[in-house]
Amino acid sequence: MSRSSTVRNAAWLWFIATIAVLVVGFRQAIFLVPTEETMGNLQRIFYYHLPHAILGLIFPYVNVVASLAFLYWRRRDPLKALTADALAVASAEVTVLYVGICLASGMLWGKPAWGIWWAWDARLTTELLLWLLYVSYLLLRRFSPTGQTGTLAAVLSVFAAIDVPIVYMSIQWWRTQHPAPVFGPNGGGVDPRFYPAIFWNIAGWLMWGTFVMLFRFALERRRQLAEQDAALLAIEASLETPQ
Amino acid sequence: MTWHTFFDFSTMASRHLVFVYTGVWLLQGGYLAWIAWNWRKAKSLSPRD
Repeated sequence: MSRSSTVRNAAWLWFIATIAVLVVGFRQAIFLVPTEETMGNLQRIFYYHLPHAILGLIFPYVNVVASLAFLYWRRRDPLKALTADALAVASAEVTVLYVGICLASGMLWGKPAWGIWWAWDARLTTELLLWLLYVSYLLLRRFSPTGQTGTLAAVLSVFAAIDVPIVYMSIQWWRTQHPAPVFGPNGGGVDPRFYPAIFWNIAGWLMWGTFVMLFRFALERRRQLAEQDAALLAIEASLETPQ
Repeated sequence: MTWHTFFDFSTMASRHLVFVYTGVWLLQGGYLAWIAWNWRKAKSLSPRD
């Protein structure tokens, strides 16, 4: 069996397992865990909001590690740098998706729960800033006319990553409209009967995000290799031109 | 909760619950479909294929 078919089979298995875990997570969140007393069924938004919020703070670290690897390799080993760059763009897109879903689901939860769509408190504002930083990262990559796009994007990525711990700590450093943390050393805690919905959905959306990021990475590598092939063919053709 | 009460659109809270769950699947599925479409397109653009 060739390496590519092994990778393809593993990807399909991972994808099927991901869908299965997400179906279990959906079933737990909607049908099996008890209804929360204060907010009723509206609280079930939490089981999709929380995984996207957590993972939206993890994928930026993949992006910054890949960006630092790109900066390290760009002169030493340009082929490795291209691979790191492909991972950086894949993780940045997934970050925009996850943070965007976190913001949108939070607003859809906030309106019926608080009576407002948005509050300019520290958590929401730093989270919006994080989303805007990664959107600007992708826009820079898309529209920068220079040959230094990868380097500029990598430097921006390092600055963007600084916002991640600020988002995480914001609900501890400042008083916010957003609730205090439920997990961790200072967490308020969650009724253990809600654990299955929480953990199945965190696992499912982690598996999904990993799959999507690696698929996007493979797509970027395919594009890079196609561009390299096209450049090589152009050089070969120019050498074969009769003088 | 049942499917019937899940798709109850009588209150803002129940509507927003459905919007979040369907919206997440649409956005995530749409992004995956976009990658898959570009995957096929990138293969057909490869000069050595």
